[in-house]
Amino acid sequence: MAPVDTVGRARAGRVALYLTLTAISLVMIVPFVWMLLTSVKTPGDIAAVPPRLFPTKWAFGNYIDALHAAPFATYARNSFVIAISHTLLNVVIASMAGYALARLRFRGSALIFLGFVGALMIPTYTKILPEFLIVRFMPLFGGNDITGQGGTGWLDTWWALIIPGAVSPFSVFLFRQFYLDLPVELEEAARLDGLGELGIYARIMTPLVKPAFITVALLTFESSWNNFLWPLLVTKSDSLRVIQVGLSVFRTENDTQWAFLMAGTTLATVPMVVLFLIGQRYFVQGFATAGIK
Amino acid sequence: MSATIVPERTRTRAPAKAPTPPGRGLSRKRRRAGLLMVAPAVLHSLIWIGIPLVAAVVLSFTSYDVLTPPRFVGLANFQDLLGDQVFRRAVLNTSVYTFFTVPVAMGIALLIALMLNTKLAGRAIFRTAIFIPQVTATIAVALVWLWIYDPRSGLANAILSFLGLDGPAWLSSTTWAMPAVIVVGIWQGIGLKMLIYLAALQSLPTDLYEAASVDGASKVRQFFSLTVPLLRPATFFVFVTSVIGAFQSFDQVYILTDGGPANSTTMMTYEIYKSAFREFRMGYACAQSLVLFAMLLILTLVNRRITGGDRGTR
Repeated sequence: MAPVDTVGRARAGRVALYLTLTAISLVMIVPFVWMLLTSVKTPGDIAAVPPRLFPTKWAFGNYIDALHAAPFATYARNSFVIAISHTLLNVVIASMAGYALARLRFRGSALIFLGFVGALMIPTYTKILPEFLIVRFMPLFGGNDITGQGGTGWLDTWWALIIPGAVSPFSVFLFRQFYLDLPVELEEAARLDGLGELGIYARIMTPLVKPAFITVALLTFESSWNNFLWPLLVTKSDSLRVIQVGLSVFRTENDTQWAFLMAGTTLATVPMVVLFLIGQRYFVQGFATAGIK
Repeated sequence: MSATIVPERTRTRAPAKAPTPPGRGLSRKRRRAGLLMVAPAVLHSLIWIGIPLVAAVVLSFTSYDVLTPPRFVGLANFQDLLGDQVFRRAVLNTSVYTFFTVPVAMGIALLIALMLNTKLAGRAIFRTAIFIPQVTATIAVALVWLWIYDPRSGLANAILSFLGLDGPAWLSSTTWAMPAVIVVGIWQGIGLKMLIYLAALQSLPTDLYEAASVDGASKVRQFFSLTVPLLRPATFFVFVTSVIGAFQSFDQVYILTDGGPANSTTMMTYEIYKSAFREFRMGYACAQSLVLFAMLLILTLVNRRITGGDRGTR
């Protein structure tokens, strides 16, 4: 075979590869582009048949109008408060647990670890009904007596939104994996210097697994921000609604206000896209570490 | 878990009176610290995972509407489940949805990963674009797709009519609603599958491929005899996590179809939600959720058997 022919074929193959990958990437991105373009269209442009890709008039005011149509800013703030709380609680509580299970082997620690791994297997939908009942019958809260009767417990409170998600077995698992890899000499040197176990964890070992903290923080923030069913079940009042629930309620109440709805979904998705673009390395590591290492 | 903690605490205190050699004292201190540090997470998991799991099993044998105390009904819920046509439909729908969003999507994801596993300018851009749907909220993107599937002004039918085709009424058609939901599922989940395959491909030993090339094995032969077996741990991991995800799809159905039309897109999760929070049949919903759990367990075990499990992943 002539070398020119091989080069030509290789080049054709490369072009085909680029075209295919570009087409796939476009399919993945188009819904977001469509969302952004719709969010700045006038009602006339939205009703157009067949639809136009670009607006004839760019209605940036839609965003301000959307904030008047529904308290999307409050919803986003609530989501933010919950996601930040979950992130902080997970990072502190799960890293301590992961550290203890990785470095401070004690009797029963293997069994506890097995418990966390087992907990990973339990579907949300098996846990969520009893979790709802625990929240509903939380004793001495929301008018409940000591037996959990008479009131509404934690329903429609920040407690219900924050406490059940404070630790996830996945975070514990991920932290343990990261702490496992650290050299034992460091720990022993610090111990000889008279540092307590908590000090070794906080001041010696933890600074060495910063990537683990960023990974768990990003993944926790993301899943908390994107969570829907739990906040839907435990909140009623508008002031406690999170962005995802707010969007779904807005949709049922205003079926055709696509521009406002797309402005709202932009508000709900853009923070995550930005966060992902900034911390891509850690997201990728986090998603891949749990399985392949 | 609690059973292991309680004796442990008493054990650490008891020998404190006797003088202990420094080595043992040290290990005792470590044990104590370990227990203290793991305790908050264990306590939390006991309350929010351990108790709920036990409660789900117990409640599945009761009739319970939240307002009046649960009433023991034996196996009645499970007997009702057997005759529940809608739940049967939900099991079927969940299986169809899982088939397309897991094994089929995994095949596509592997193809994309193979394409990206070449020296390619702009690879990071492609990878990012394909992964982005994964990090965005299902509720939000489902709303975007709801608008895309709009029969009159939606993008889907605009593209079809541009190609000279007549688009269906997607989400209100018993034929097309399920494919529409599946497309959203594949679209959102393919990035993660691709990423894990790509990571696995990049860690494959190159010397094996060199040896195979020297032996005259073709690229296709190398793929089936080397790549596929070497990717087994990744395949196991992707399969298990994806099946768990697919079986628990809820948000997109909630937004796109509400389980309809005529139950053609209802899922097991959706039936659990309906039984519990629209009909207030908590006991029945718990029984349904245990069926979901059992199916997931069986699928995981079967897959472990077939792929040889996650041996060699760590």
